Amino acid sequence: MKKLVVIGAGMASGRMLEELFDTAPGAYAVTLFNAEPRGNYNRIMLSPVLSGEKSYAEIVTHDDAWYAANAVTCRFGEAVTRIDRARKVVVGAQGEVPYDQLVIATGSAPFIIPVPGRDLPGVITYRDLDDTNAMIEASGKGGSAVVIGGGLLGLEAAAGLRLRGMEVTVLHLSGHLMERQLDEAAGFLLRRDLEHRGIKVMTKASTTAILGDDRVEAVLLEDGTTLPADLVVMAVGIRPETRLATDAGLEVARGIAIDAQMRTSDPDIFAVGECVDFNGQLFGLVAPLYDQAKVLAQTLLGAEAVFVPKELSTKLKVTGCDLFSAGDFAEGPNREDIVFRDPGRGVYKRLVIEDDAIIGAVMYGDTADSNWFFGQIRDGADISTLRDTLIFGPAFQGGAPVDPMAAVAALPPEAEICGCNGVCKGTIVAAINGGASDLAAVKAQTKASASCGTCTGLVEQVLASTLGDRFTRKAVQPVCGCTELTHEDLRRLIKSQSLKSMPAVWQAGAWKTPDGCHVCRPALNFYLLADWPLEYRDDLQSRFINERKHANIQKDGTFSVMPRMWGGITTPDELRAIADAADKFAVPTVKVTGGQRIDLLGVKSEDLPAIWADLNAAGMVSGHAYSKGLRTVKTCVGTDHCRFGTQDSTGLGIKLEKALWGSWTPHKVKLAVSGCPRNCAEATCKDVGIICVDSGFQIGVAGAAGMDLKETERLGQVETEEEAIALTIAFVQLYRENAKYLDRPYKWVAKVGLDWVKERVVDDLAERQRLIDAFAVSQSVYQKDPWAEHVRERSEQYKPVNLSGFAAE
Amino acid sequence: MTTWIDIGPLDAIPPRGARKVTTPLGCVAVFRTGADEVYALENRCPHKGGPLADGIVHGHAVTCPLHNWVFDFTTGEAQGADTGRVATYPARVEGGRVLLDAARLQARSQAA
Amino acid sequence: MDVTLDPQARTFIEVAEVWVPQEGRLVHAQGSYGALDGFAEASARESFAKGEGLPGKAWAEARPVVLKAFDGSYFKRAEAAKEAGLTAAVAIPVFAGAELKAVLVVLCADDAERIGAIEVWAETDGLLMLEDGYFGAAKHFEWVSQHTHFPIGQGLPGGVWAARTPMLMRDLGSGYRFVRAESAGKAGLTTGLGLPVPVPGSKTYVLTLLSARGTPLARRFEIWDARSARVGKTGAALLVDGTCARDGRLWDADNPRRAAAWEGPIGTVLGNGLPLVLAGNPAQTAGYDSLVALPIHQAGELAFVIAWYC
Repeated sequence: MKKLVVIGAGMASGRMLEELFDTAPGAYAVTLFNAEPRGNYNRIMLSPVLSGEKSYAEIVTHDDAWYAANAVTCRFGEAVTRIDRARKVVVGAQGEVPYDQLVIATGSAPFIIPVPGRDLPGVITYRDLDDTNAMIEASGKGGSAVVIGGGLLGLEAAAGLRLRGMEVTVLHLSGHLMERQLDEAAGFLLRRDLEHRGIKVMTKASTTAILGDDRVEAVLLEDGTTLPADLVVMAVGIRPETRLATDAGLEVARGIAIDAQMRTSDPDIFAVGECVDFNGQLFGLVAPLYDQAKVLAQTLLGAEAVFVPKELSTKLKVTGCDLFSAGDFAEGPNREDIVFRDPGRGVYKRLVIEDDAIIGAVMYGDTADSNWFFGQIRDGADISTLRDTLIFGPAFQGGAPVDPMAAVAALPPEAEICGCNGVCKGTIVAAINGGASDLAAVKAQTKASASCGTCTGLVEQVLASTLGDRFTRKAVQPVCGCTELTHEDLRRLIKSQSLKSMPAVWQAGAWKTPDGCHVCRPALNFYLLADWPLEYRDDLQSRFINERKHANIQKDGTFSVMPRMWGGITTPDELRAIADAADKFAVPTVKVTGGQRIDLLGVKSEDLPAIWADLNAAGMVSGHAYSKGLRTVKTCVGTDHCRFGTQDSTGLGIKLEKALWGSWTPHKVKLAVSGCPRNCAEATCKDVGIICVDSGFQIGVAGAAGMDLKETERLGQVETEEEAIALTIAFVQLYRENAKYLDRPYKWVAKVGLDWVKERVVDDLAERQRLIDAFAVSQSVYQKDPWAEHVRERSEQYKPVNLSGFAAE
Repeated sequence: MTTWIDIGPLDAIPPRGARKVTTPLGCVAVFRTGADEVYALENRCPHKGGPLADGIVHGHAVTCPLHNWVFDFTTGEAQGADTGRVATYPARVEGGRVLLDAARLQARSQAA
Repeated sequence: MDVTLDPQARTFIEVAEVWVPQEGRLVHAQGSYGALDGFAEASARESFAKGEGLPGKAWAEARPVVLKAFDGSYFKRAEAAKEAGLTAAVAIPVFAGAELKAVLVVLCADDAERIGAIEVWAETDGLLMLEDGYFGAAKHFEWVSQHTHFPIGQGLPGGVWAARTPMLMRDLGSGYRFVRAESAGKAGLTTGLGLPVPVPGSKTYVLTLLSARGTPLARRFEIWDARSARVGKTGAALLVDGTCARDGRLWDADNPRRAAAWEGPIGTVLGNGLPLVLAGNPAQTAGYDSLVALPIHQAGELAFVIAWYC
């Protein structure tokens, strides 16, 4: 009988032995080494053992009886020190074993990030039963655990430790969890789900050190955050365990190099499992390992077999977390996404289609059809005829094309339509039968779609299915093709459901694209930062280039730079600095603007940080001449110099500009203060225009002097400068909170009515104060000079990467 | 022959952002998607010459900052009603570094 | 089938019965009474108005109710129960949205040996607190439970609360697997089944059944997942977890067993959405004497069926 030695009793070699003994019992006398003091168990089920939902006994694959029945000589708990290829022996700690054929199945070793403190007691990797038991034991004392790595293993460890009663924080380097298997939208849902379990998740979190004297006490992050920790689990990844192969002089790439028959560079030595490298590919999931095991068993028995890597799928073993991911998300020509979101059920599905076949799928919250989709991916099935209903899975396929109306018509009366107000279909139908014939009437009578508005489309479908052609849908303009929601729906949704991130809005608003488009993203970014100044982080990549680079892009791709001149007042020093900058950066055009300041036109993108730094040094800040925000406050000279002046209009203008600068608004906002009714500052056509009179200040709003020409309307008249500022701020804040993105104030006021605005800004003093306070909170975050910030933190981004030299080499 | 040249770390490009790369005879825009893939396109919109590196990145496309033409990263084709095309160049990420195909960039410069 | 596991051991639950609403009253639908014929007869004659007796109280108050002393209580069958040696009862309402589908009542007999626990946890101020429970002779464990609370995601009750699914935990008492492990170990508790009990309104209830090896609450537990998010709108269910004193583990992560609506006892529950109590037919109850299967209606659908056999 030929002698087969196997190093490593893991899932791959275990399956290989099963195949071998099933096909040709007695073909080989097998000696099995395992560094762990036990035989083969189902390693991928360790997570439920950690959580307590399974016992170790339940996940043992091969027990002593199985090894005995197959006459396997077990050398468990014994490390192999080396392979002597010349003598064809394996050297173990307790002696040599000769082989005719040798299988290396040493699996993988956890990757340990090279930070100080990684060797402290209490820092545990997560690979085998001993690690699992160590974590279980550590969790028995309670306390805090920090899991480094938000991939499959890390998250399963986090969920298990949380169930065992620990306070758990997951640190993840990337922007969203499981980034290799999930897209951002699914990663967001997973994060929400884990946070619902009381697990803290920190993304973009980079570990600098693990702290502690005798054992681990805390984890220090790059940003200086310190997290107390009684247990640190390192689950950042694995690498093939190749030491024996390297020492034996076998060919090793990232893993042990093998051919399609699992043969290494030595014809009598084979490798299988996580330790191998096949054409540059490594393997961490179980399905290809089993395929390899089968091929290896055949090869050992002299049969023809070829290993072909197949598409893989991933599931997370956390009870109650239903996610699925398979196939390829990398892009290529002519790939297309089909996205389905059901906010009510927390469901997200995305299919990636290429050449009429599904090549990738991600699902969260509903994985019922995952096997079917996986089958479609593996088979490369032609889905062109199913395309319209593909995302609904196999249940919808095979029959006549499905009309979405039919699905609504088929809903039972008790089916819930409006989740916010708990309105079911029967209630809506009753209201319709009672005379409610349009959306507004249904909303008024049943409250359906009255809160977040995401069910508006469904309510309309119920109207249509009940009334037939007696129902005429009111034409509404959605934000863009990514969603059915209007801007108004979107603003209401963000407020009513306290949505504080883009992925949260995409999910709740059933976005049909993975990450929006150039139309919805800037609007969404503004709505989020206006409603949640403290919680939401401004996303530069969702801004138009002008706001991202804090400069106005010109038609030739250069930019204009305009420093702020408070109330139109400047000094010789400032003028000198501007002139110097214009010389230094060869600015082709210098222009005095209608907003009482000086514009430097034609600056190259890469020069921006330097010119800003020069202007900053002279005490000037960005004029925000590019932003949807406060532009200028135009003034006349007022009482200081003018014989007609009634108040200090310049002083008020400067105060207003200092109060409002830096704030983001739905569209640009221009102010003016005129010192008398002669109106030299042209205040009567501004967004907010103040005319000083003897008895105080007349505040006009909603003027326009652009595409439309419109005189301001009187918001109110006040006696003091303080009140004038208060009313102005309250008006701007109300506009920020309610207007549609890219509506100037005059358009917004026309929609809501001046009386509605007056009620809140002038009459209701408590509301006026709330608006002023809310504005102050926002300014505490956003009133900062973007030039200084970008010069300090982002100047690198403005420089192109210069490859001009390489062609000459 | 493919010669990959390293243009810097992936982190130097913000997610859904871009970086301009100057080459001997013109600029290339290197984009990073929300899913951390990279693509390289000619930086000049065929419509009015807008710098694509300054556009908004969404899905696998960029919107030109000047007049909102949308270009697909994989084909370089303008989407929707607009017709036009920008050149695309091989780009990839390896070990956290962004690599461009030098040979293709040279070919471009010779052709230009 | 070969069932010889501790045939002498008495089980923790002696009686299980199902009450269903009919014309405004709860009427007797099924029951498993073992040898307690007298109590069976008394029960078959009974019916309850909303708020009346133990089942009526579970209905009216829309929560699981534990009753540990019958004498002088609202329990209507106190006399018959006393004769049968039954000392405690738990009523579990089964709601589908606002509609009461049925009330499952289990009754236990008390003595100095029988160890186990049926606990009702309710959410108060963001924590799960023990609302009530029946523990048999596990007095210390009862005390510990009364003084334990669970944040979301922690322990069996907190885990069920967070995951919104039933969960089955192993080896509760082996020293490290359970938040209350030390006391559970002393009490001999081994297996724990936790399940959400959805009720109308916003209250959160979690029921846990903790079983000891000597006097098992059940010898076999099963969790069937019937959510359309998992099995589609097929009316079927997958056996996602289970453990059996005879067969060992019942789960197979790659090829879970499937139950179709109206086929077999689990299929009956899937079909009609009502709890099922079955006895005297070992062919249908995996070789055991009796089976209790309890549906969990959640988010507008029959989401899970849990089953225990003894």
